[in-house]
Amino acid sequence: MPVTFTFGEWFSARTIIGQTLADLGDEYPNLWTVTPDIGMTLVEFREKFPDRFIDVGLAEQVAVGVAAGLAYEGNIPVVSGMLPFLSMRTVEQIRSDVCYPNLPVKIIGTHGGLVGNGGSTHYAVEDLSLMCSLTNMTVTSIGDPLMVGDILRQSMKMAGPIYIRLGVGKSDQAIYEPGTHDIKIGKGIVAREGSDVTLFAHGTTVAQALEAADALEKDGHSVRVIDMFTLKPIDADLIEKCAKETGGRFVVVEDHLAYGGLASRIADVVVDRGINLTAFKRLGIPQVFAGFGNDEELRDKHGYGLSATIDAVKAVIGAKA
Amino acid sequence: MAGSTLVNDGQQHSVAELEDLAFELRSKLLYLCGTYEGAVHIGGDLSVADILTALYHYGMNVDPNNIANPGRDRFILSKGHAAVCMYIAMAMRGFFEFDDIVNTYGQLDSAFGMHPCKVQLAGVEASTGSLGHGLPIGVGMAKSARQRNESHRVFVLMGDGETGEGSVWEGAMAARSSELGNLVAIIDRNRQLMTSHAEERVALEPYPEKWAAFGWNVIMADGHDMASLVASLDGLPPASSDRPTVIICETIKGKGVDFMERNLAWHAGSLGQEDLAKAMASLESTRASKGSK
Repeated sequence: MPVTFTFGEWFSARTIIGQTLADLGDEYPNLWTVTPDIGMTLVEFREKFPDRFIDVGLAEQVAVGVAAGLAYEGNIPVVSGMLPFLSMRTVEQIRSDVCYPNLPVKIIGTHGGLVGNGGSTHYAVEDLSLMCSLTNMTVTSIGDPLMVGDILRQSMKMAGPIYIRLGVGKSDQAIYEPGTHDIKIGKGIVAREGSDVTLFAHGTTVAQALEAADALEKDGHSVRVIDMFTLKPIDADLIEKCAKETGGRFVVVEDHLAYGGLASRIADVVVDRGINLTAFKRLGIPQVFAGFGNDEELRDKHGYGLSATIDAVKAVIGAKA
Repeated sequence: MAGSTLVNDGQQHSVAELEDLAFELRSKLLYLCGTYEGAVHIGGDLSVADILTALYHYGMNVDPNNIANPGRDRFILSKGHAAVCMYIAMAMRGFFEFDDIVNTYGQLDSAFGMHPCKVQLAGVEASTGSLGHGLPIGVGMAKSARQRNESHRVFVLMGDGETGEGSVWEGAMAARSSELGNLVAIIDRNRQLMTSHAEERVALEPYPEKWAAFGWNVIMADGHDMASLVASLDGLPPASSDRPTVIICETIKGKGVDFMERNLAWHAGSLGQEDLAKAMASLESTRASKGSK
């Protein structure tokens, strides 16, 4: 799909998913889409390939089970839905029906993080922790809407399952000019170079991290921003490299529980590889049910918004070696 | 080892021959239950022994020499804890040797474990064990067959207790919505859960009506009467029809061994040498007084 790029332009990730799947459906005659009544993104696919589209209605467990059955028969099913339900109500189907036989089921959905103002039933905040714990599962969280197409396309070649997490997906900021970054599942993206500190983010907090880095540059701070969109397998080499090149100073900001998400994945690498850090600070959702409010308000309230990110980076830069 | 392994030649058997095969299957089950030191789900194995015999030796088109044949019928053991019974039925059908099961069952790195795994054992269609998962998987397989204009059937065997899982009914709705006449659910209606008799805890009745209300074609069968099972399989509507079929098989948990029948103590267990002899004697006497069900 041709895209005219302007940084910060807003795109609908859902539209891009729909267009990408409709294109991939031609290329892959064994590509199916399955949804539990969240088929808005799939209209184009459904119209083009009605015999490879299944809407099971409000039945997430059967959506994943059906996808497993399709995959057993050599098909590539993409299950699309809302992640608070698709990641939790079906976690056992994902584990035992999909991951255990290592089937190429792709799970993609929206509402990762405190987004959409639906209240705590409608925020997926534990999902990355759950999915990262599953054997055979690849776990991603995408911020740049234009990237979603790349990731879906790459996932078609994968033998096993993948989890693709988005924010609301209706209107997201474009970050990378197509073709300028090497976007590969399993590899972190250096979204911005910098040498004083590394700021790690994924999904919806990548744009915020870049904004923080811009603000900090005005104060003379050089902030590297890593879009660690693949949480599993984690790009451990990049983490080690960043530790060496940015003085062992790490900040992680994510729209997920602060414990169990990217910060925890990075901490695991730090411990396992014996990486010496000068300072490490994690920003994310505390162990609370977050309440109502818009995305920005909730991030600020819970201490991982823009100003909190700037403060955390300053504190880490100021930490004594 | 008890009895010889009959390798089926793919021909359809008479009811009398199927009864002999079911007897052999039960003998082998008891042998394994008597020689393996761990627990075997013997109660639920014995309740599906006739059903699995009828499927593997009569109702299903499978070819042990061409396991991945796209035209084969698919079988999902949704009540995965009856894996041993399926393994033995498959061995008797020629997928592998019974001794392969006996010699390695439950051991480190064995392909034969308490719940079946497709990755570890070729010929198994789906990894199962957690209840309520098989029917949705079967819906996916049946949908795939429809889309490819394949004419085989997908069989899913569930316990009646298993149908307490909500995902079974989600699957039942999905199958009807997709008009999957190529999908056949078989219920082992032994009326026992692990720790109780079914109706004491869960109001499954009116049971056939539940399936009918979900839009399924319902066939009632005696799950221990081979003629009834054969008639049910013969009576399946064409795979191209638009309604999924459920065959509700009335069964007895522990069928064939007097001290196990309807006995909650024998959901799973292990027979010692002495009890193995008693169980075999009971099985023999049940056969001698054939007709008593």
